[in-house]
Amino acid sequence: MLRKAPVGARGMAPGTASGAALPLTTDDMCPVCKTIRYLNKDMEFLINPECYHSMCSNCVNRLFNDGPNQCPYAGCNRTLRRKGFRSAFFGDLTVEREVDIRRRVAAVFNQAEDDFETLRDYNNYLQMVEDLTFDLVSGAEGKRPAAEAQLQQWEAEHKADIERNRKAGREADEQARRRLTAEREAARQRRIEAIKEAEDEKLERARSREAELDTLAQAPEGQRVQLKRRGQTNRAGGATASAVETTVNTAIAAADVGRLSIRGLKEKRKAPAPEGPYDPFGGSDFVPSRYKVGEGLAHPQVEKYRFDQQHITGGYSFDDYTARAMFEAFAGLGVFIEDEKEVGIGMSAGQVATIGAGIAAVGDRMELD
Amino acid sequence: MATEDARYRESSQFRQWSFSPVQLASMRDKANTLARTSIAERLSTSPPNNASTNSMSAPTSNANTPDPDGGTPSLPEFLTPAEEALLVTFYTSELLRAGDHAEMGDEIKATAAAFFRRFYVTNSIMTYPPQQMLIVALFFGCKAEGAFPRITDFAQTFGKEDPQDILAGEFLLCQGIRFCFDVKHPFRALRGAVMELRKLGDIDTSRIDSAERRARDILRFSPLVTDAYFHYTPSQIMYATLSHADRGLVERLIQETFHYVAPPTNSGPDTPTASGDASTPATSRRDTNKGDDNNKAAIIGSYIRDRVLGTIEACRDMLAKEMPERREHWSNKTVIKAQITPLRKKLNKCHDPDRWDLVKLQKVRREQALKKGDSEDGSPGDRVASSEADASLFGGDVATAQRDAKRRKVGAKGLDDPFGGAL
Repeated sequence: MLRKAPVGARGMAPGTASGAALPLTTDDMCPVCKTIRYLNKDMEFLINPECYHSMCSNCVNRLFNDGPNQCPYAGCNRTLRRKGFRSAFFGDLTVEREVDIRRRVAAVFNQAEDDFETLRDYNNYLQMVEDLTFDLVSGAEGKRPAAEAQLQQWEAEHKADIERNRKAGREADEQARRRLTAEREAARQRRIEAIKEAEDEKLERARSREAELDTLAQAPEGQRVQLKRRGQTNRAGGATASAVETTVNTAIAAADVGRLSIRGLKEKRKAPAPEGPYDPFGGSDFVPSRYKVGEGLAHPQVEKYRFDQQHITGGYSFDDYTARAMFEAFAGLGVFIEDEKEVGIGMSAGQVATIGAGIAAVGDRMELD
Repeated sequence: MATEDARYRESSQFRQWSFSPVQLASMRDKANTLARTSIAERLSTSPPNNASTNSMSAPTSNANTPDPDGGTPSLPEFLTPAEEALLVTFYTSELLRAGDHAEMGDEIKATAAAFFRRFYVTNSIMTYPPQQMLIVALFFGCKAEGAFPRITDFAQTFGKEDPQDILAGEFLLCQGIRFCFDVKHPFRALRGAVMELRKLGDIDTSRIDSAERRARDILRFSPLVTDAYFHYTPSQIMYATLSHADRGLVERLIQETFHYVAPPTNSGPDTPTASGDASTPATSRRDTNKGDDNNKAAIIGSYIRDRVLGTIEACRDMLAKEMPERREHWSNKTVIKAQITPLRKKLNKCHDPDRWDLVKLQKVRREQALKKGDSEDGSPGDRVASSEADASLFGGDVATAQRDAKRRKVGAKGLDDPFGGAL
């Protein structure tokens, strides 16, 4: 898709409408219509990721409003569409192109480290992806289409995986975002608390000063005042200690949050396949394969009890009887004991013989009851 | 795999008590050989009237046991496995008659018969008395099927004064059947088949009714006195009896059940899953639903249908040997005189003198257990024998673990061998 490198002369692309921070260069001139920025202050340069040739928005409108058209650059015979044009984010269009390619490759090769058995595997994978990306970005003329084909093939083959990883990635992003907001909220709370604490402290200090003055006024005994003051300082010391404790706690909490994120990463590891519901019959299939149980199956010996109070009061199920009778009529019809016992689907002939012999040979040591 | 089959494979009847004919025969042979060995040893070492407790736990797996047949001339002639099988069948029919006498339900009788036959797979009829065991099996069958008769009433029904006669063998039976108390019967399955037949709508109900009556009559007897419960699943037994009653109904039902036919693009009839891929030319059109088709073919396709029909046919042949009309055969005086009485006489001579009387056996074992509980180590020879036997049963590891004093205490309580004593 990317045949052409951007025009060499235009090393520095003009600033875009949004990219006001980029330094503007003097040659702000549309290479198609030769309009210069001096004449049109609002001139905006657009590129198309087909070939990364930039032109002003007026030219784009003029050339491509009526449908797809060829790129106006000499020698470039790409067919461009109006829809494909956008303003470049980077001034350097090679960088813009590389970013585009990397974004595209990353969307396809979106395995996380947790998807791999070992770190080495993951590193190998990253190396492979990077090689491919390099081929796409600045590979030789022969290598680029090969890499492109490889990418497309991978995309086609692993569509489901990619989609799943993308979803997982989105979830992870969501989690990270939530965590971030939670952290921010916690920080805000901490700040508010700190402010409150400082205010409290200020108030306390003022109050203690008042009290001190009062005691001084009431009882002029120096020792008492001293003691009080000491108690006061002690209390203050306790307060600072608790403050230290809370900061430690918050630090631990922050560390916890950090560890949590790591654990979250681990949890992304592929869960074991679901075991499915518990089967109390050990996989036995109860769907009859040689007969059908349904209406019309009746036996006169059984039917006569259908209106017998003694039978129906207790909840006797005639359907169950029918099902069981039918099962017994067909169960084991295809079991050929002679063949199966000789060949040994159940127990092999030798086994049976040894067991039989063992039973017969066992010494006389049993006890009754 | 069909879900019904998978569920049946979970049952203890399939896992513990289903065998191929070869396996069953080898187990019976083994039981017979071991009984011969131990009884011969017992008879040759001490006179039968002096049943001391020491010989009870004689090592049975000893390699240098004297050959019973070529040994001392005083040894009696032992029953062969075939003779044992005949006796077990006879006593099973006796059991069913006893059940009729006590007016028990079909399922109780069937469960008791299954217990009885299972018990004599790993135990020889020469070791434990079948006449008592069949009463025990009936009593325990009642309990297993949710009917709880009073033991005194029950004993009276069978002319026994002392309920202890029955209770003495109860735990022994449980061990012999390896605590598998749930026996799956084909009776309810028959109801299901009849429901399905009635649902089809185009079959005369009187035909179905008569077939059901006949099939139920067969189910009450034939599978119980044969080895059908060991070799076939209840539904297969049920279809076999139904085919005795009315073959057309079974064929119709099987056709309806295994109706699946592979789509016509597939060349030829559908084949089993395994060989189907190899034999059918690869058609690109059916590639998407081929797995589904194969699965269906494996459950309700024609290949499995043919196999099921073959199995039912084999079961049918087995049941044909003991149709309900043979009830009279087994209670016929001349038949008994000709076939059973000689065997009984033989059995009277060759049975295990220590274990024939269940009450005495229980008493002796209780005393033994008490003695073991009192003196911590018991007799050293006994200990060696038991650990040897355990080693043969569990594969050697237990023998070393047995030396642990703690283990020994548990062993003295009789917990180390849940599946019963020697033959």
